[in-house]
Amino acid sequence: MSFVPKTQPFSGKINAVTLGTGDKAIVIGGQNVLPFYTFDAPIENAPKIGVEISDAADTWTAPAIVDFYAGCTTMAERAKKAETMEGADFLCLHFESADPNGANRSVEDCVADAKAVADAVSMPIVIMGCKNIEKDGELFSKIAEALQGKNILALSARAEDYKTVGASVALAYGQKVGAETADDINLAKQLNIMLKGLSIAPENIVMNIGTAAVGYGYEYVASTLDRVRAAALAQSDADLQMPIMAPVSPDTWGVKESIASEEDEPTWGCAEVRAIDMEVSTAAADLVGGADAVILRHPAAVATIKQFINELV
Amino acid sequence: MKVTFQIEGATPVEIECNAGDNLLELARRANVAIDAPCSGNGSCGKCRVRLMDGQLDSIKSRHISDEEYEAGWRLSCNSKVMGDCTVFVPDIASAYQSRMKTADLSSPEEVAIFEKCQNDLKASGITFANRFRSVLLQMSEPTEEDTMPDNERLTWAVQDALGVEKVEIPYFVMVKLASTLRSHGFAVCVKGELAGDTFRCMDICGSDDKMIVGCAIDIGTTTVSMVLADLETGKILAKGSSGNGQIRYGADVINRIIEQSKPGGQKKLQDAIVKETLTPIIAKLCQTAGITASSIVRMSIGANTTMNHLLVGVDADPVRMDPYIPSFFGWQGLKAGDLSLPANPLADVMIAPNIGSYVGGDITAGTLAATIWDKDEMSLFIDLGTNGEIVFGNRDFLMSCACSAGPAFEGGDISCGMRATDGAVEACTVDKDTMEPTLQVVGEPGQKPVGICGSGIIDIISELYRCGIINARGLFTREGDRVRRDRHGCGRYVLAYEKESETGREISINEVDIDNFIRAKGAIFSAIDTLLRSVDMTVDMIDKVYVAGGIGSGINMKNAVNIGMLPDVELEKFSYIGNSSLSGAYALAVSDEASTKCAEVAANMTYLELSTYPGYMDSFVAACFIPHTDAKLFPSSHQEV
Repeated sequence: MSFVPKTQPFSGKINAVTLGTGDKAIVIGGQNVLPFYTFDAPIENAPKIGVEISDAADTWTAPAIVDFYAGCTTMAERAKKAETMEGADFLCLHFESADPNGANRSVEDCVADAKAVADAVSMPIVIMGCKNIEKDGELFSKIAEALQGKNILALSARAEDYKTVGASVALAYGQKVGAETADDINLAKQLNIMLKGLSIAPENIVMNIGTAAVGYGYEYVASTLDRVRAAALAQSDADLQMPIMAPVSPDTWGVKESIASEEDEPTWGCAEVRAIDMEVSTAAADLVGGADAVILRHPAAVATIKQFINELV
Repeated sequence: MKVTFQIEGATPVEIECNAGDNLLELARRANVAIDAPCSGNGSCGKCRVRLMDGQLDSIKSRHISDEEYEAGWRLSCNSKVMGDCTVFVPDIASAYQSRMKTADLSSPEEVAIFEKCQNDLKASGITFANRFRSVLLQMSEPTEEDTMPDNERLTWAVQDALGVEKVEIPYFVMVKLASTLRSHGFAVCVKGELAGDTFRCMDICGSDDKMIVGCAIDIGTTTVSMVLADLETGKILAKGSSGNGQIRYGADVINRIIEQSKPGGQKKLQDAIVKETLTPIIAKLCQTAGITASSIVRMSIGANTTMNHLLVGVDADPVRMDPYIPSFFGWQGLKAGDLSLPANPLADVMIAPNIGSYVGGDITAGTLAATIWDKDEMSLFIDLGTNGEIVFGNRDFLMSCACSAGPAFEGGDISCGMRATDGAVEACTVDKDTMEPTLQVVGEPGQKPVGICGSGIIDIISELYRCGIINARGLFTREGDRVRRDRHGCGRYVLAYEKESETGREISINEVDIDNFIRAKGAIFSAIDTLLRSVDMTVDMIDKVYVAGGIGSGINMKNAVNIGMLPDVELEKFSYIGNSSLSGAYALAVSDEASTKCAEVAANMTYLELSTYPGYMDSFVAACFIPHTDAKLFPSSHQEV
């Protein structure tokens, strides 16, 4: 008698959330099995990769990134270039210069950038803010308004500003909203419940349950990912069935393994290779833990993770 | 130089000092009560005083607005004396009281609950009898023919009256034997304790003073309550309560322990409870009952572990230090004379045994009184106070744990919180459509509201949630006349407008209050949840829930369930049992069997240390939501929107 493997698809299913419009639109989530458990049931939508484009990208010095964006001066030009990156599925516009404690770029300037990008590209757009609650609220709301109909995702609404962000981004302008919490399954669930309480449909919510670079308290991320996914699938917890997006690059490009120069750490080897390794290992860990999309910066990291996904799905 | 403390509603106090002395320290030295829950590190902002005259070197704090600073308000903990000055101290004594409704048997409901407890104990087979005896003796006076000395004469008389073989006459009795016998014509009353074939005399007095009295004391972190009981009949002779005098050394047990660790601290804290708190109440109750202090031949204490340590004057530091092992759990051998309490110096002070650093004698006494150790059904016993303690089990096993709930149940940490006296909003309903409240205020009809007590807070939060005025996080989601916001956008619900309140100030509950309360209720529910999980049981296995503590009999169990504070079981399973620590202490005082049983209950109780229990923190975060992150745990909680 031949061996017939027992398959174990779950009754719970991750919501399928569509980002963007037209041919380049992507769907994240939709599966009813653990990450890459293709032997239990087909993975409906392979995990997706977003390319981070920052308004502070002129400070990026990794040679391959500089080369890749050579000749690009504006966010729109960078975005257009990023669309050609091998493995890219969507674009992530990171307005870190909007921080009132930093460069404090005006909301109008950021909106103009976002608009220019949206006009120039066809890939789905994800917006990341500057982590300042008040500024982000205004920024997300204005960009969501300017990019109506583009089906963008704003990362993220937090417990402190979910009402402002949720109401403007999702309810007023019909975009998708990210729910950001810090490595705690209960807080993640509570925020989803509150967003749903604003009458935002679950299909319009994506979660960012907290991130870290590997080696920097990543155990918390790993355990939260595991538990969130287990609750969504095994317990069919509808308040945790939103797909997960993990912004990897903003974390990994801030740690010393990525930024220490070769002069300072001669035994660590090539700085750029280290940075790519940090991105790849963090993204791979996120994906096997349950992330449905990751945001990366380096072209080599994007290509590697794409290959990783293709091999496993 | 000197500082004069002008105390609201009391006579001013002066103290000599040096330049640079800390004002809060001076106040403590001068026995001026200034509320300092954070023990003087500038974080709580409660120790406000107003500079009337002279100068202080004060750090300006975020707790004092510019206008208030102009008006002379300072935090005493970060003020140094520069020269002679006069400061005004707001009426804090009553603020201490306001933290908690004292279940001190002052209302008929409380007395009824107390009596029911005692009847339940009797029904559980506990005999209310003790080994203390008071015997009237008529001896013949000595003559030249009858040359028996006093002590032998007394011994013979006692042997004859009680049929005992040995009679012990301690020093305390010996020294007054001759004079007492002679001044009463050898017709005296001897009080003492029967131990097998021995009678230990404890007191000798005139035959008109026959009463032997037990004194039962509940020492809470915030309040102390006490009853005197006739040991022969069990009848309550007098009852009373007051704030715990240690409050000026910190509002919670941790701050008190830190304070007692400082040089001279143990003595300071012990004096605050023994000399300043217990002694005056006992003296007053003796007067009310018309008895002499030496008639008190037995005392019993129901108090948490820290309070027990501070009372006895042993180092309480191990209570708060890992691995949290205190100096004693159960300990016998303490006499009233050791503490110089106004009672018979030979009276045993029975301390209801602790079972852990944070589950103390108040809980073992309370568990005894709740009689859950005698039932087949699974009972949950919850003592709601600054610390919440939970006991779960039946006649076969008992599990217990403690959690820190903070002062929210007692009206503390709540902007308009107060104790359940006249003017307190004790119950409330809200109209879903108009958002208008209907208040039930303690006091005569027509009493205007002054503040909100614990049961009122539960009602308001439950109603606001039901009406969709706040969301599951306690944030305001509806706007209207009743919802006001400050300049930072922090919302509040107005229960009584300025013109409707007794004080002319608006009575409201704001998002910060609600958040504090949600944490308190989250601490309680997650402790229950964790305790049940530790024995692999679920909420639906609970047959009975006994709620004890200062939150008052007015607690609306349905609303407490609706906000996720108490487990979602049928409402008829709940009962409020009042100050169970005092009920238990009373039983210990009047019944030998009860004290044996209490020790047995304590020995059989398993203590779960939540701080080291994996999953508790997780459960706490899940419970800090209305009703709970896992709504399945509260099927009957609902929102009408």
